[in-house]
Amino acid sequence: MRRFLVQLLMMLAVMLPAHAQEPAPPPIPLPTRAPHALTETPPERAPAQATTLTATPIQTAPKEPDQPPPAARPAPAPAAAPAPASALASRARTELPLDSGLPLWVRAGLAFVDIEAIDENRESFTGTVDLRLSWLDQRLRYPAEEAPIGYREWRNGTVAAQLAAIWTPHVGFANLRGEPTRESRSLRIYPDGRLEFLRRVTGTFGSPFDVERFPFDRQRLQVELVSQDETADKVVLDYRQDDLLFSHADPNIKIDGWTMGAINLIRDPLAGWYGESYARLRVALEVDRKALETVPALFVPLLASLLIPLLAIWLNRSNNGEFEIKAFELTNIVIGGLFAIIALNFTINSERSILASSANTVSLLFGLNYLALAAALVINICLFRFNMVRLIAGRHVQHETVRYITWALPIAIVATALALILIAAA
Amino acid sequence: MKFRKSAPRALIVIAALVIVALTFGANRLFGSMTSAVEQGQLDLMKAIITFNLAGTSTNSLARAEILAADRTVRRLLAQRDRPGLIAHTEAMFKEQREKYAVDQVQFHLAPSTSFVRLQNLALYGDDLSSYRPAVVAVNREQVAKKGIEVARTGPALFGIAPIRDLDGNHIGSVEFGMDIGPLLDRLKAAYGLELTLFIDEVPLREFATGMRAGVISEHNRVGPTMRLHSTDWERMSQLVNGDDLRVHDEVRDWVRDAAGVPYGVVLFPLRNISNETLGAIAVARSFQSTRGAATRTVVLQWLFALLGFLAVAGAILIVIRGWLVRPIEVISARFASVGTGERPQPDDDDRFLAVEMAALAAEHQRIADMIDGKRR
Repeated sequence: MRRFLVQLLMMLAVMLPAHAQEPAPPPIPLPTRAPHALTETPPERAPAQATTLTATPIQTAPKEPDQPPPAARPAPAPAAAPAPASALASRARTELPLDSGLPLWVRAGLAFVDIEAIDENRESFTGTVDLRLSWLDQRLRYPAEEAPIGYREWRNGTVAAQLAAIWTPHVGFANLRGEPTRESRSLRIYPDGRLEFLRRVTGTFGSPFDVERFPFDRQRLQVELVSQDETADKVVLDYRQDDLLFSHADPNIKIDGWTMGAINLIRDPLAGWYGESYARLRVALEVDRKALETVPALFVPLLASLLIPLLAIWLNRSNNGEFEIKAFELTNIVIGGLFAIIALNFTINSERSILASSANTVSLLFGLNYLALAAALVINICLFRFNMVRLIAGRHVQHETVRYITWALPIAIVATALALILIAAA
Repeated sequence: MKFRKSAPRALIVIAALVIVALTFGANRLFGSMTSAVEQGQLDLMKAIITFNLAGTSTNSLARAEILAADRTVRRLLAQRDRPGLIAHTEAMFKEQREKYAVDQVQFHLAPSTSFVRLQNLALYGDDLSSYRPAVVAVNREQVAKKGIEVARTGPALFGIAPIRDLDGNHIGSVEFGMDIGPLLDRLKAAYGLELTLFIDEVPLREFATGMRAGVISEHNRVGPTMRLHSTDWERMSQLVNGDDLRVHDEVRDWVRDAAGVPYGVVLFPLRNISNETLGAIAVARSFQSTRGAATRTVVLQWLFALLGFLAVAGAILIVIRGWLVRPIEVISARFASVGTGERPQPDDDDRFLAVEMAALAAEHQRIADMIDGKRR
């Protein structure tokens, strides 16, 4: 008896603060739809579905401070209208609505309100997005005259209690890194049972960057919405025309070094266990890099450094097969160039580590630089120092070989560099 | 003419011409392969839209036939019990509209009078014969039909099934109309296509008088058509314009850029059951991957051609000048010194001379020795 009293007191202690902070949500009448042969779900389907369903968590992302713990959530408000006797109608309103059958189509749209920063090295961006989810729950229908403005609305402080009383799709931001720095929510329920849940979230989203075509690349700032609890045969994320219209980027967004493009929505189910899948929707804002802004910092030093090995070859002259400058002096230039390239490579990789981790124009130009230096070194040692061509074919051939290399090698290197840039621009 | 310059130049020009011709040919070949791939993509887009329009019409027809077979519906229509028919089918229509984009359900009395429009209950009793050839045909031939039409409440993909009373007498028909917009949205989701529905303004103004306000407006006018739905009009407006829509009674395709990205565009005409053009669906798909690959290949081909040319030119120059011209010049200089009393120094590199050159050098040596011997 004493133990029971202690447990009772503990339960009261948990429940009281929740009731003190949040007023009970207004009652939502249950549907008054007349049963009909064509529209009713077959009766034998309901028990089978009911056995597979579990109570759905209400919150997707971090809970608001004023939200009561699950055990202390207020019970669903009593229905104003008498509930139909069917098994479907008797389901708790916190359970997945089955009145329209499965899967439940949850329409989603996402708008980019602000992009504060893009961090290519961490493959992420920080910004604010508005997520809009809408779905139909016929259990929440009510007479239109009860809402003169056309809907009932709950915002921020009051929305948590309302969300606790009904089923909401557990759609999370799969690529949100860490906790959102700011979040606000709103819920509207329309007389026909349509719900509209708006969520504004500020945070850092991970988004893969493909820099193969750098600096002419187009990146996709991506937000991944995933149905986290219900498999795709129960909840499907979809979009229609008005969701596409909602999914836009604020035209006033300015991102340094980038130009905003269009938004794309892609449905891409996420594989789950036992062959199941979860609905996933990727919303991506396309951004184009301003290529010209990368020229002074990256491409001028990269292309200028290509001149070093060419200079080390061009400076020498052949006089009837005899060289005018010692190989030692020219090799010094090549070795100096090697250190310069290494330093430049280190600097660029430190500043833009993403460029170091994949094949792209910059890494290929670095490769060309190293190749040119290697060619210059080989020419200096084999031709200028050891006269290998002369040893094999005589001084006349060596003389012509040096003359040929002097103009052909620069053409080959410059053409290759241009081709690499053109390929990236293609 | 100097052999030293003319001979390498002739050979280099010939080599350059051959390399350029080969590269150009390879470019053309690859270009035609890219075109074939793109044409395949365009054909696939046509097939996707054809298949889905037909499939959606079939879905409409299947629903219509199910409802036409419903005994309650047959009885209520035979009794011309309008309230009963509405009560029996209204909830079904709402659910179908919500879940399956069924936009219109209408019962007709033979031969072509509207009896109930579930999407607009206030509108009924009008004669459809002037603009609904499919309804007229179904009630005349008493055979189910499907296709796109512009109805009073807008265009849709219709399936129309005849209805008989419980005694088997033909009394009218029922139609299901699927909204085309959600179909286009689903196609975008499934295939990544961008689609826009254009309906000719004339039939729309004339027949779709019950359509929601604001659809027929200057904002939506594109050439002779009205834009009714688009998955991304900002992009599509750069790909399809009013001039493209002047003629849309046959399938056409083209490639055009939007925001710097090349898109393949197919304009697919929409025809009703009488084969009259009602509008068109524009379908677009990014061709950036094929075009990008083609451009990259062209750049690489020309780069390899240049490198190949440099290699051939180098070989020509080094062989002709290094092994032929320069040794000849040296030996000529030796011959020029014959008789002057000066003997050139022996050249160690003579060992690298070709056999023919070595014979010439030996001949110079013999003549020089002979002249020197006579002098002595």
